[in-house]
Amino acid sequence: MLTDQTILATTATVLIFLGLVVMFYSRNLLKTIISFQVIVFGANLALFSSGLGGVSNLMANTLVLFSIIVGGSVEAIGLALIVLIHKEYGTLDPWKIRRLKH
Amino acid sequence: MMPVEVTLLLSAALIVTVIAALFSRSMSITVIMLFYASLVLGIIFTLYQGVLVGLLHIITFAGAMSVILLTAVLMTGESDLNIGNRSLAAVLSAVTILVVAASSYSLFSGAPTSTVPSPDATMELLSFVWTYRPWDLLILIIIFAGAMISLVNLFSKKER
Repeated sequence: MLTDQTILATTATVLIFLGLVVMFYSRNLLKTIISFQVIVFGANLALFSSGLGGVSNLMANTLVLFSIIVGGSVEAIGLALIVLIHKEYGTLDPWKIRRLKH
Repeated sequence: MMPVEVTLLLSAALIVTVIAALFSRSMSITVIMLFYASLVLGIIFTLYQGVLVGLLHIITFAGAMSVILLTAVLMTGESDLNIGNRSLAAVLSAVTILVVAASSYSLFSGAPTSTVPSPDATMELLSFVWTYRPWDLLILIIIFAGAMISLVNLFSKKER
């Protein structure tokens, strides 16, 4: 039986998987942060869909609320660090940054 | 409850926008598609009675994070804001204008719709958080304040 909860949970799984794949294979720090944001989207959707089947979804909504703020804070700091890294090393490729460091 | 077809359509739209954002060669397309993905996810939350969550999601990710991401892209010189195809830009602009127009019409026309925020549901969630999760709320505020202070410190000239 195809329910809303199943569809949203499957979508969340796909989002998390896509984010992880791009995070592992990307050679650009901006793409890494963007894939982190996609993983946060997937986690939020999974939390939200877990509350759809029950009588009350207040707890799920509360967790999503907290997850949004924590995800936004982490992403803002990550982007600020990326700007500073680019000013320091002149590149966003993590492999080149590792070579320049030594 | 919403029909399953609507859920399928919104989920497909979310996956397509995320794939376009992650696998696009142009960083401008990536930022635009990520904005649309945030918008679609906020609409999903709103349609399933998570009005407060959906609103906060749109404000945070489609609003603030998109601006910060665009600023980071411009400061690092990863994009010259050329999306390459003018017809694509026209289509994206038309879609954005249509979405905003349809949302405005459904909100202000007085037509019966299931997406009108219910004050009871919002107050119920807020009172639940305030009553049962006050310490989590405090920790959350500390995390957010710490993030903002770190951000200011990272960009301050004195530190550099």
